[in-house]
Amino acid sequence: MEPNAQPSVSSPPTGRPKNWLVESILVTIFCCLPFGIAGIVFAAQVNSKFDAGDHQGALKASANAGKWTKIGFFVGIAWIIIGAIIYGVELSSLIHR
Amino acid sequence: MQHSRTKVIVFVTVAAGGAFLYYRFNPVGAGFFPKCPFYCLTGLYCPGCGSQRALHALLHGAVGQAAGYNLLAVMVLPVLAYTGLAPLATWLRGRPQGQSLLYRPWFTWSVLAATLIFWLLRNLPVPFFHWLAP
Repeated sequence: MEPNAQPSVSSPPTGRPKNWLVESILVTIFCCLPFGIAGIVFAAQVNSKFDAGDHQGALKASANAGKWTKIGFFVGIAWIIIGAIIYGVELSSLIHR
Repeated sequence: MQHSRTKVIVFVTVAAGGAFLYYRFNPVGAGFFPKCPFYCLTGLYCPGCGSQRALHALLHGAVGQAAGYNLLAVMVLPVLAYTGLAPLATWLRGRPQGQSLLYRPWFTWSVLAATLIFWLLRNLPVPFFHWLAP
C-alpha cells in the first residue's frame, strides 16, 4: 500500500496495511515502555479488521500502530541521550574532584 | 533507490556498533547502559527489563542465561528471523506479504497476550514466577 494512495469506497485497497508488529515488539523489549504494547494492540487490530472486511478501520489501526511505535522509539532514544548526559556529568565530576 | 540504500547503510552501521558494544561490555557491571525508564518510575519490571543483559548473554552464545534475564526477548528471536527471511521466501515463491504469519490475526493477538501475561507474571512475588524476573 503506497502511503500517498487514496483509499476510496469504490476501490478498496487490495494489500494489507503495514501492521508494525515486529517494530512494536522491538520497541516493547528494547525501549522498555508501554508505548510498544499500544503498538502491538493496534497491530493486532490491523489484521482482524482487514480480515473482517473493514479496510478503513485497518488503515486507521495501521496509522495508530505506527504512531505509538514511533513515539516509543523516540522517547527511548531521548531516554538514552538523557542517560548518557547524566553518565557524562557523573564521570566528569569524579575526574575533577 | 538512493533513499533505501542510505537506510540499509545506517541500519547495518547501527546494528554492528550495537552488537560490538553489547558483546564487549556487560550491562551488569558497566554503568553507561541506560536503565529502564518504567522500572525507574514505578519500581516494577516492564516486559523489556533485562533485555540488555539478555543481549549480552546471547552474543556470547549463552541462550539459557539470556532466557533467565528476559524470556520474551529470546522467544522473539525466531519471529525476527522469520521477518528477515519472509521477504526472501515471498520473492522465491511469488506469494504476497499479506499471507505472512505476522499478518494472521491469531498470531498478533497471541503476541499481545504473551507480552501481557509475561509482564504480569514477572512482577508477581511468587517463587515459581521469580525466574521470569530479570
